[in-house]
Amino acid sequence: MTFRTKLFVVFMLALLLSVAIVAVGVAAVTRRAFQDSNRTHSEALVAQFEREFERHKQDIVHRVQGIADAEATVRMAIDLSRPKADVSVYVNDARGVSESHQLDFLDFAGDDGSIISSNELPARFGYKIDWLAQPQDWAALGAFLRKVDTQDGPALGLMSVSVVRVGDRNLYVFGGERLGKDFLASLVLPSGMRALLYMNLDTSFQPSNLVDESGPVTDGERFAEVIEWEREQPTERVFHIAWTPDAASGESFHLLPLLGRQGELLGALLVGSSDREVVMLERRIIWLAAGVAAMGLLLGLLMSWWGAARVTRPVLKLAEGAREVSEGNWSARVEVRGRNEIAQLAKAFNRMTEQLSEQRERLVQAERVAAWRELARRLAHELKNPLFPLETTVENLQRAKEQSPEQFEEVFRESTGILLSEIENLKKIVGRFSDFAKMPQPEIGPVNLNETVRGIVKLFESQFGAVGRPPITPELHLEEGLPAIQADEALLRRAIENLVLNAMDAMPAGGVLMLRTTHENGDVDLEVSDTGSGLTPEECDRLFTPYYTTKQHGTGLGLAIVQSVVSDHGGRISVESESGVGTSFHIHLPAKPPVRSPVAVVEAGSSNGE
Amino acid sequence: MESARRPRYGGTLRVEIGAVVKSLDPATGATTPGEAAAKDDIDPLLYEGRSLEGAYTGAIGSGPFRVAEWEPGQRLVLVANESFREGRPFVDSVEIRMGRAARDRLLDVELDRADVAEIPPEEVRHAAEHGVRVSVSLPDELVAVVFVAGRPATEDRRSREALSRSIDRAAIVNFILQKQGEPAGGLLPQWSSGTAFLFSTAVDTAQARNIWSEITGPRRIVLGYDASDSLEESIAERIAVDAREAGGSVTVAAIKPGAGSVNADARLVRLRMASANPGEALARDIAAWGPIAGVSADPAPTAMPQQIYDAERAIVSTYRIVPLVWLPRAYGLGTRVRDWKAPATGAGWPFTDLWLGEVP
Repeated sequence: MTFRTKLFVVFMLALLLSVAIVAVGVAAVTRRAFQDSNRTHSEALVAQFEREFERHKQDIVHRVQGIADAEATVRMAIDLSRPKADVSVYVNDARGVSESHQLDFLDFAGDDGSIISSNELPARFGYKIDWLAQPQDWAALGAFLRKVDTQDGPALGLMSVSVVRVGDRNLYVFGGERLGKDFLASLVLPSGMRALLYMNLDTSFQPSNLVDESGPVTDGERFAEVIEWEREQPTERVFHIAWTPDAASGESFHLLPLLGRQGELLGALLVGSSDREVVMLERRIIWLAAGVAAMGLLLGLLMSWWGAARVTRPVLKLAEGAREVSEGNWSARVEVRGRNEIAQLAKAFNRMTEQLSEQRERLVQAERVAAWRELARRLAHELKNPLFPLETTVENLQRAKEQSPEQFEEVFRESTGILLSEIENLKKIVGRFSDFAKMPQPEIGPVNLNETVRGIVKLFESQFGAVGRPPITPELHLEEGLPAIQADEALLRRAIENLVLNAMDAMPAGGVLMLRTTHENGDVDLEVSDTGSGLTPEECDRLFTPYYTTKQHGTGLGLAIVQSVVSDHGGRISVESESGVGTSFHIHLPAKPPVRSPVAVVEAGSSNGE
Repeated sequence: MESARRPRYGGTLRVEIGAVVKSLDPATGATTPGEAAAKDDIDPLLYEGRSLEGAYTGAIGSGPFRVAEWEPGQRLVLVANESFREGRPFVDSVEIRMGRAARDRLLDVELDRADVAEIPPEEVRHAAEHGVRVSVSLPDELVAVVFVAGRPATEDRRSREALSRSIDRAAIVNFILQKQGEPAGGLLPQWSSGTAFLFSTAVDTAQARNIWSEITGPRRIVLGYDASDSLEESIAERIAVDAREAGGSVTVAAIKPGAGSVNADARLVRLRMASANPGEALARDIAAWGPIAGVSADPAPTAMPQQIYDAERAIVSTYRIVPLVWLPRAYGLGTRVRDWKAPATGAGWPFTDLWLGEVP
């Protein structure tokens, strides 16, 4: 993954995370707000119900009192106070009076509580309402909840009792309103809320007793558990019902117990608040967030790509510059824009490459000077040895001419012989330097390196076991199937022979000479190792420098020639050495040398060199 | 002024009834008890006589009146038969409007828009209080509970007995009927059999409760009543209340005319005496409802009172037919109607002898 892609991914993740956090946060805050709002609404509705309930109570008290105060009722009371009064005359009165006073329930009862007329259950005349005749301050009691028997079965009523007293006899007026769907319909509910009424009229939970403003509630069985709890212990409760797996179907309920005159549970009001609006809003927020996120992502994609490109462009240029430097282009430079960290890095890079170029130039110059010095030293050293005999011989000739003319002839012959010999030496020395300067261009052809190695080892076999010197044991590890490479066999042979000679020189006490060939992807590798005394790291570093030698009588050109040959074949040579263990030269040769010989690469290993 | 006391011919007698008669053919059966009773009142006006078996004799129109106009179910206009063998009726014609609601009938007779109107017994007191001249016959219509044979809920005799004992017949008479009629313990009224007092009509809630507590089988009784009869509805509901107070369970069910078989364990029925003869009346009642109740008796019209009582007792003791109350027939009379005589049991409307005076 590129730096630009990574940067882009980081930007996108940050953007996604931001959008997600904002969406979740907004949804959570909104949910909390709606829940608070719903709770407030629910509490308000419960309070409204309680006010409405109280108002209904007062209204019913007034209406029942109005009936009791009516002239017809007073006349009825007077009539019934007479001995042997005919109560049957009034058997149908409750129906008409209740209709005119808009009461669902109305009973007239005599002094002993016997029903004279009943609206809700007309056939019940004559039967006693025992509790009605018991001493009670009905005016102070006000309206109360009561289970009322009707023709259709028991019902829940908000009732009131008024008493018309004539003489020592009472006429009870017992009336009220049915609590049911009509009562629920009279409640004003905010959107998304509803009110349910459970009428506790049976010995166990009955779904049909749970109504809303339109009638029995669908799936009323879902309330069974809560209602049973309420029947056991009447108290205000808050609970939640999930009607379907869809979260939007959920509904929170606030339950308010409705108690009778004796504190018995007669009903329960359930104020329901739908989760739909909250869930839908949440979903809208999520969808909106998703839309914003998608647009943000798209925008972020473009911005991030642009930003990442803008941020990484100088870095890429820096990387390109570094790559050029690594390939040897020391003059590589990076364009500097702005004054930020990247620009400072670019400036530093440019400074670095400038300094590297300068240092390289200085190094080259230094090496050149050093090479010339070394050349001069070697030349001086090489020429100095023949020059001294030449000088001595010439002085001997002069001395013989002056001091012993008789012997001059003999001295002359000897001296000229010496002079010719030393001049021959000087020629040889010059010839070697001339050979190095005149390294021929390789003549490329197919070469089997294994065969070349075997031939070289065979050539040196007699020297490995020569009399008078410790034996050297050659070990060949030549990989079978080594491919032929395009190379100049003569130059390769010369280079390998040089390495073998160096190895032999490094093992004056004998040892093992190991030659190993391997190949990979058509390229071949050759390793030449000895078990000599090894080289120091400094020697390894300078090993391939022309005219540098660790030998007493070496010219320092052998390994330089080897390196030149390898380089001419597009290969590379390296050396590894460990003091007291030995030295290994590794030559890597491509299957086919480049058209133009690249600059030879020399890799110095950690260790000693030769 | 005195001329008003002397009968005079002429005028149209305006009659309003609640029942709906759809056919004047005696062979066509009535669909409701009310229609059957109305036909029993109309037929004597159209036929000249009646056999001992109760069948009318002669052709239609051989009676005191002939059919002039006939709108089935709505209106019947009869004209006086000039050649009636017992003499022409005083009124020229009779217009009978059918299907009139009780409230409308009462209002019409109160406002003199009708000369004769049937009044439900429970409305007699109300009508009288509003100045309407009211005529009440002897109580000759029995309201009874007939238990349908073969119903699991009432096959146990104790269940039927408990229901019978729980019913407060006096309360039905006093409150629902507004003191018209009388509690019924037997299948014949006291004025007819002379032995009705031997059948108890008292409520015995305690005994009913004891009996019901002993019953382990199904206890809920479905009591059907004629959906068009408000009196039956009131009585049925009272029975349900009485039963509940005694620990029983009665559910009332309205039965619409022509509804066919109804899933009721018992039926509230009206048994109108077809004859003043107790034996004949009892025989006809049993013939009508005995098969349904699963009881039978065949008292001869000439049977001795003891035999009639025994037959009556045998049926009543099964509690398959539980007598409740005896109802009279009540009529509101307009101010023009003169010489009205309350209709006799088994006889039709007394339109032959009445005449219409001047409106004061």
